[in-house]
Amino acid sequence: MKKVTVPEQSTVEKAVRHAAAIGVAVKESVYPLTATVQYPRQRKKMPDNFRGYILFDPEKCINCWECAFICPANAIRMKEAPNKKYYPTIDYGRCIFCHFCIDSCSGGALRATKIHDVAYKDMDEMLTLTEEMIEPPEIIREDKKLVEYQIDEKDLRLKKTREEDNLIVEKAPPPVEIQMVSQCIDRASCIGCHVCEHVCESGAISSSIANGVMRMKIDTDTCTGCGLCVKECSMQILTLVRK
Amino acid sequence: MEEVINELMGTIMSNQLNIPALQPVLDSVSQLPVVGLLISFILWKPVFALLICPGLSTVGILLLFFPWVERKLCGRIQWRVGPREIVPWLGGLIQLLADTLRFLFQEVIVHKDAHRPYFLQFAFLSFIAALLPLLFLNAGNVIAIETPYAIQAMLALVCLFPFFILGLGWASNSRFAYIGTVREAFMYFAYEISFIIAVIAMVVLYGTSNPLEMADKPWGLILNPIAAFTFFVGAAMATSRMPFEIAEADQEVAAGPHVEYSGIAFGLIYVMCYEKAYILCGLMTVLFLGGGSGPDIPGITPLLGNDLMGIVWFLIKTIIVLTTLFVLRTIYPRYRLDQGLNIGWGAMITLSLIALALSIVLVQGGIVL
Amino acid sequence: MEKEEEDRNIRILRTGVLSPLKRWSAKWSLWPCHFVTSCCGVELAHAFASGFDGERLGTLNMGISRQANFILVEGTITRKMARPLRIVWEQMPDPKFVNVIGACGQRGGIFWNSYNITRPSEIVPVDFFVPGCPITPEGLLRGVRAVQDKIAGKDETTIKFKKVTLPSEGTGEESTAPSSPKKFVPTPLVKVDIARDVDWSSGSAIVSNLKSELDGLYKSITITDKNRIAIKTAPEDLVEVARKLSGNVGVDHAKSVNVIDVPHERKFILEYMVSSYSSKELMPVIITIFTDIVREAEPKFPSLTPLWESTDYSEREMHDFFGVKYEGNEGMNSKFILAPETQTPLRKDFNIAEETYVFDESVPLNPPIELTSDLKMPAPEGLFDEAEASDEFMVLVGPHHTGSGHLRWILRVKGDRIVDVTPDPGYVHRSMEKLAENRLYIQNVPLFERANISDPFCMNLGYVHAIEKALGIEVPERVKYIRTMLAELSRIGAFFYDSGIFGLFTGHSTAFMYTWAIREMILEAVVRMTGSRCTPSFIIPGGIRRDVPKDVLDMTSNFVSAINKRLKKFEDIFIYNPVFVARTRGVGVLTREEAIKCGVVGPFLRASGVDYDIRKVEPYAAYDKLDWEVTTGDAGDCLGRYMGRYEEIKQSLSILKQAVEAVKGMPRGDVINEDILGEYKEASEDIKGHLFHVYGDLVLPKGEWTSVIESARGTLLYSIISDGDSNVPYRVRIVTPCWMNLRGIIEASKGERVADFWSVYGSFGYFPPEADR
Repeated sequence: MKKVTVPEQSTVEKAVRHAAAIGVAVKESVYPLTATVQYPRQRKKMPDNFRGYILFDPEKCINCWECAFICPANAIRMKEAPNKKYYPTIDYGRCIFCHFCIDSCSGGALRATKIHDVAYKDMDEMLTLTEEMIEPPEIIREDKKLVEYQIDEKDLRLKKTREEDNLIVEKAPPPVEIQMVSQCIDRASCIGCHVCEHVCESGAISSSIANGVMRMKIDTDTCTGCGLCVKECSMQILTLVRK
Repeated sequence: MEEVINELMGTIMSNQLNIPALQPVLDSVSQLPVVGLLISFILWKPVFALLICPGLSTVGILLLFFPWVERKLCGRIQWRVGPREIVPWLGGLIQLLADTLRFLFQEVIVHKDAHRPYFLQFAFLSFIAALLPLLFLNAGNVIAIETPYAIQAMLALVCLFPFFILGLGWASNSRFAYIGTVREAFMYFAYEISFIIAVIAMVVLYGTSNPLEMADKPWGLILNPIAAFTFFVGAAMATSRMPFEIAEADQEVAAGPHVEYSGIAFGLIYVMCYEKAYILCGLMTVLFLGGGSGPDIPGITPLLGNDLMGIVWFLIKTIIVLTTLFVLRTIYPRYRLDQGLNIGWGAMITLSLIALALSIVLVQGGIVL
Repeated sequence: MEKEEEDRNIRILRTGVLSPLKRWSAKWSLWPCHFVTSCCGVELAHAFASGFDGERLGTLNMGISRQANFILVEGTITRKMARPLRIVWEQMPDPKFVNVIGACGQRGGIFWNSYNITRPSEIVPVDFFVPGCPITPEGLLRGVRAVQDKIAGKDETTIKFKKVTLPSEGTGEESTAPSSPKKFVPTPLVKVDIARDVDWSSGSAIVSNLKSELDGLYKSITITDKNRIAIKTAPEDLVEVARKLSGNVGVDHAKSVNVIDVPHERKFILEYMVSSYSSKELMPVIITIFTDIVREAEPKFPSLTPLWESTDYSEREMHDFFGVKYEGNEGMNSKFILAPETQTPLRKDFNIAEETYVFDESVPLNPPIELTSDLKMPAPEGLFDEAEASDEFMVLVGPHHTGSGHLRWILRVKGDRIVDVTPDPGYVHRSMEKLAENRLYIQNVPLFERANISDPFCMNLGYVHAIEKALGIEVPERVKYIRTMLAELSRIGAFFYDSGIFGLFTGHSTAFMYTWAIREMILEAVVRMTGSRCTPSFIIPGGIRRDVPKDVLDMTSNFVSAINKRLKKFEDIFIYNPVFVARTRGVGVLTREEAIKCGVVGPFLRASGVDYDIRKVEPYAAYDKLDWEVTTGDAGDCLGRYMGRYEEIKQSLSILKQAVEAVKGMPRGDVINEDILGEYKEASEDIKGHLFHVYGDLVLPKGEWTSVIESARGTLLYSIISDGDSNVPYRVRIVTPCWMNLRGIIEASKGERVADFWSVYGSFGYFPPEADR
């Protein structure tokens, strides 16, 4: 345990302290330790993992709805696309940029950009539809210089370079490829409706009748883990598991 | 009739501002009928003092650019930049022009609890009252009213300021304005006495209260630094600067007496604060820093002439004092009211009396004549 | 707001011959009246401090509405705050502009279904909305630029999206929307005293001691977890049990007051969580005394304030939330933190909006919010008449005041002395406890973090810690050190936050600028680790979201020495400045007894001489493995509190250094516990891609799980009650340090001078969003 006591300042000490305070002001007015990033003419460099606006790639979307489910602000809602698939829309009037959605997206369809300085005229515009999330948006850029904070052992330094920061992180970290397969967790409840067989695009699900009992079979090699059957299963007894 | 005019012209022409560099131009212009008369009228020292320097024009220009200097310097000390984007290549020099115009065009609200006539009148009156001491302030040997009692007259007018601030607060009729006003009243009594004694100490020391004569004496700052310190602290208290920004404490009483003012009415009060500071710093220059005296600079002094050089030196010194006074806000937090009063009634009065005693000793001992 | 009113300001600027001048001056002289209503205020301060310096744009922050022409609505406008916003806006002279920054002020952000949120755009006309939670300083300045452009004549949104046609070929089959991932058990069995076998050697001795002391008064005494004891009593015996505990056992303060609504059993469970500072043995122990009472409209129960004054404000809060009337508590006549019209919102039958997962154009984006019919600000009855009758004067500070923060202080002043202070909190009450009951466990991580974004990691850590206790999982060694590092970073950040505010309160703007520049360095480290400046949501149950890169670790360890140069200047100009010392020495003294009585926590308690730091008492993360000391003091005045905290920050810097070095010395490895990952083992270094798989269906074992940690401003308590089947908490009780310190501020300011109030307030580092939750 450490006791902190603050002794009374004597008159001499007070004078010294006054002088020290004035000394700092004088010193700083000559050689200031300025730490200002002059936005909008300069732009602070953000790391590649910065949590800004979100882009979407429909090709990689496996329609698992997890981004909508995990969103703590309910900012993501799924909208039906012409191909009958549901794709996310983001309401930036609610989005808190926690990027739980990106961390939940197992297909890597969602990715982050470094865009974060935006002002909307109207609150209704803040709803971003799927169509608008695919291409990187354009924002007003006035920056001529890029400023990077560098902290070495002595002090903070502002490294200014004459370049434009690319706000779209080009090298998105490679999406984690996980092989999923569909599996039946409760065979006894299967009513043999064949829905899974119909929806399966890769033909991995087949049915057979043995001893008068309908048997569904999932071929783990051909199954792509798209999850369609899981969603369509009328008894909700299918689930995705790791291969 | 003609005699009167001639006499007047004689008076005007005998007391002209002398600018060697411009003399040929002035000579040729003075031949023109109306313009010549006008120019010689403006160059008549009392009028020049009133209209140009240290009077209205200087105040106006100072108001437009000094707050910028203050904000830039404070910004620098505070590790940032200060106003800039308005004209980046000039470092935001005309920032205050935008602020002033904005206040001018902004709506003036008189809230329903306020005493409407006084609420508006005091804002304008205080602006004018703060200008009055300029009549007796000299820049070098340019002064509007030359009198052997100039210092006393200025002091009397300076001591009028607080009444207008009290008026502002009273007319506002709001809780914070009320507390701020009471604080202002308390502080007024706390600094005034020591402030006056410090001035008297200098008058005793110089043996005159005519500012023109003081300029020839050695610097008061060196002769009697205690009086200078007392005066400076008194000025900080009078203009509500840190660490004595007690009446207007933003975080405590929300700018005190000014809390309800908006638009140009606030603009005027804002201006008054700077005017007040300018006048006190001018007085400090006259009393302690040798007024408009300064070394001759070869090449420049002969061109500008003594009159103008006096003005230049006066302005340079005043701006330095002014900057010091305003930069205090980056160095200090504010005292509490009772601590401020304690300092005023205790330390400052003691110091001012010591300063007075020192002056008497210096004069009686024959060290200063 | 009607379009007409919105355009009025531009019309004013466009009329008259001087129109170009008008527009030019207004453009470059937007003085924001800083309407600090919530956490976005932290980023606003960053935007106007050394790091970004908004003054460059001619926007000078001004506290006084009459002189400002611009409001930056910083996030949440609660029902209580709606009226002040309108008043401030009306006070401002024309032409005036309003920007709303932060998601709370747009469509509610994470608080979208809160019962206490309104939309600023329905209260005042708004020019621009800046998204973010919180916004970044760049975003804020972009908003300012947008207003400037609007004045100049270019009124448009600063982002343009490119529309892409979506693929149209597909399965052709209708796919249906899955049902909500949330599982609610309609009639769960709620129990708070589930006995557990734990490795706690002195536990049985304490329990047998309690049994002999409370003979005949209790129904059961159970050890629910290590250092946690639950005592069940009959309603009529509870006061007697409390009296025995405070008299004979040495329990001297309450950590929490809680009510759990169990409608299907027609009962309320009333809880008091108490502990002791005076008995070394009981220090880490939290004793929960609870009883069941009948659920009715306004059940009555005797208050425990005569025994433990620290229960006072929490009892008032429970009265607001559940309608339980604690007899004997003075605050039972009016609402304490809620708006007058909100009735018992935390009862289970008070419903809030449900999530929708399918985009439906027919559903209005901005459903109308019914604003308070009577928007009068509530003031304690009779207070004014009573004061005016004597020679006293009432001063109302806040909720919009340069030195009030986001709550209202009603000062009763005699001359220059404060006779009494009445707090009026709740202006940032965002109803976190209610929202938490309707969200998945993992979704509550960002929710609770927003209680205090100046100390986000500690907020995260406390909640996650409670979950980990419940699940009985240990985090990997590396994570322990990383968490310690993060918690200390956020503690240091919070200290500088408070120093800056303290500086402002005493009128020292340089102190504010210097500390904020230092904070900018901390945030740089945080953003590189987590991707977010203030709201990282980085600590998740079982670990952290991803490993911290090596260069950032280097930067963090550099920070410890790089800070010195700036800290020295800060010391000279502020901490040892004689004027500052004069303002704080001997002011607002809280003696040891008073501090304990008021329930003050954290560094402020230690400054009054109590040697209590949870990092030592009940170590978590890696605190028991590092070399550091608890700092205490005896003075108990503002300076003592501040210097004690400053000393503590020096310790924190040392802990930070040690933790970073330890992490650097370890091989890279797992950052998430394997048990919680289940089958998703490959996510052990980075949760990317698996967050929902792993945490979406997290269910805690039945019972009450209480965790306490030492956050920057003191003891932070999370108490999660799980029914064992739902994947959402049944109830979460958060007791934040600032809420407990509120009574300390009031006690310390009594008898001091008016200006001292801000010294006391600043020295306590009160952060209203944290207190109001």
